[in-house]
Amino acid sequence: MDIYLPIAEVSVNAPLLVALGALVGFISGLFGIGGGFLMTPVLVFLGIPPAVAVASMSNHVAASSMSSVISYSRRRSVDFRMGGVLAGGGVVGAIVGVEIFRWLRLIGQADLVVALSYLIFLGVIGGLMLWESLGAILRRRRNAPAPPRKDRRPPWLYGLPLKLRFPRSRLYISVIPPILLGAFVGVLSAIMGVGGGFILVPAMIYILRMPASVVVGTSLFQIIITTALTGVLQAGRNQTVDIVLALLLLVGGVLGAQFGARASTRFRAEELRALLAFIVLMVGLRMGLGLFFTPHEPFVLMSGAGG
Amino acid sequence: MAAAQPPPALVPLQTGAQPAISAALTDATVRVSSDFRGDKIVLYGAVFDPMARPSDVVVIVRGPEEPVRIARKSKIAGVWINSRPVVFQGAPGFYIAASTRPLDEIARFAVLRKLEAGVDHLAIHAPAEQRTETRYGIRDMVVSSLGADYFDWRTAVIRLKETAGLYDTNGHGVRFVDKGLFRAEIALPAEAPIGRYDVRILLFQNGQPVSEKDRSLTVEQVGLERALYLWAHQRPWSYGLAAMAFALAAGWAASSAFRRN
Repeated sequence: MDIYLPIAEVSVNAPLLVALGALVGFISGLFGIGGGFLMTPVLVFLGIPPAVAVASMSNHVAASSMSSVISYSRRRSVDFRMGGVLAGGGVVGAIVGVEIFRWLRLIGQADLVVALSYLIFLGVIGGLMLWESLGAILRRRRNAPAPPRKDRRPPWLYGLPLKLRFPRSRLYISVIPPILLGAFVGVLSAIMGVGGGFILVPAMIYILRMPASVVVGTSLFQIIITTALTGVLQAGRNQTVDIVLALLLLVGGVLGAQFGARASTRFRAEELRALLAFIVLMVGLRMGLGLFFTPHEPFVLMSGAGG
Repeated sequence: MAAAQPPPALVPLQTGAQPAISAALTDATVRVSSDFRGDKIVLYGAVFDPMARPSDVVVIVRGPEEPVRIARKSKIAGVWINSRPVVFQGAPGFYIAASTRPLDEIARFAVLRKLEAGVDHLAIHAPAEQRTETRYGIRDMVVSSLGADYFDWRTAVIRLKETAGLYDTNGHGVRFVDKGLFRAEIALPAEAPIGRYDVRILLFQNGQPVSEKDRSLTVEQVGLERALYLWAHQRPWSYGLAAMAFALAAGWAASSAFRRN
């Protein structure tokens, strides 16, 4: 059953998109990530113009994150104050990122930067997570004791001014690191067409040292704010949001996210991390390695003649 | 829309009487709705020639024009990187040339080039890359900064559009169904751009165009698709806000629905 998308101006298979939305929504709820890093490449592969895919995806990610953040907030595992500080940085980052992306499209290097970003960020984060989580799984199998945690928080987190108390995260730190982190993720989310959870979640664990129980919910909360802004900016500035495409994806997405959020309680944390790391690594390699192979078509048409 | 062309009986029967062509589209509007998966443009026409000289018919459909940006990948430090994009003008958003015989059998290169008949003869050029200078003592020569590769760039534009299903040449797309009566069938893919299309019907005799008719075709969105398209383009900010509010509400609703279960 094909359906014509009014903004993308292409015809797509509706049940396929609903199923894709459900799958990505499930992964989103399971791991507490937006899922954009999976969705955007798949949409482009299905023949939807990249600009429309990136923009419409932000509506879908906002919807599925909204659906799962409520489940997390009922379990009191969202630090709204930390999420708000991160989102403050994220808003600035997203605005800067949308402008950078317009400029990159103008000089024709958007493809390169997108592919390199996927390769570097997904590759490094996926690789590190896979290494760490496989180590944890192996230790548990052998009943070896966990290595002593270097739980000492880095002194610079405490040395900086503008300290704020985050009771839900049991932290009393400067707001500067979370704002910078939020801004960085905001820029990346606009350029890569992702929510940025795959960077935010490890950064909150390893840099901000937040308790693992609040990390996923807080990440989703910040993703909602950043992607909501990105979606409106993309529609306003580039007219690239296709509501029919977003609707098809989010029908499956919100349902999938619910099942994902429920299923997440049934798995061990390190097994979930290993699986997510594997998916992240594969997508990063798939997107980035194309840069090194000789293309069979040396020329490429760029969308958006006006830039 | 049938052409107001005199029936053949009224054409004065004298030597050297001008041959004429007439044609009409069966439907001058293609409606794009949610179940649009491409369409077929059917065109009927007649050739009036008292001398019954051998005739060929060429039908050219051109979609709305839009500048094309194209870049070339080259290997720099082991990585394939896009060049600076080059803007080409004069490339229609959709182009098909259908004819009774392959075009190069109908007319010579220069004739086809002048009429822009056939994808190879489209007047695609990159004005921003051109400048005039004096070379070999000749003033005002048009030189392209793309240099000797200019031809590669130009053919790449056409090749990529052909790959996307937007450009085509069909050497047997027009058939004579009866004496003097012809029929052309042109496939319009779902990717075809929205807008006004020009349909040009040419009669060729002895390698020269002797008569011509122009028709126009409109590809337009209808119903909900059109409303959404207009909203998104004319009031983009309110559209963006509404779309996002709708998405967030859908997420909220799904979560509430699941809570009750």
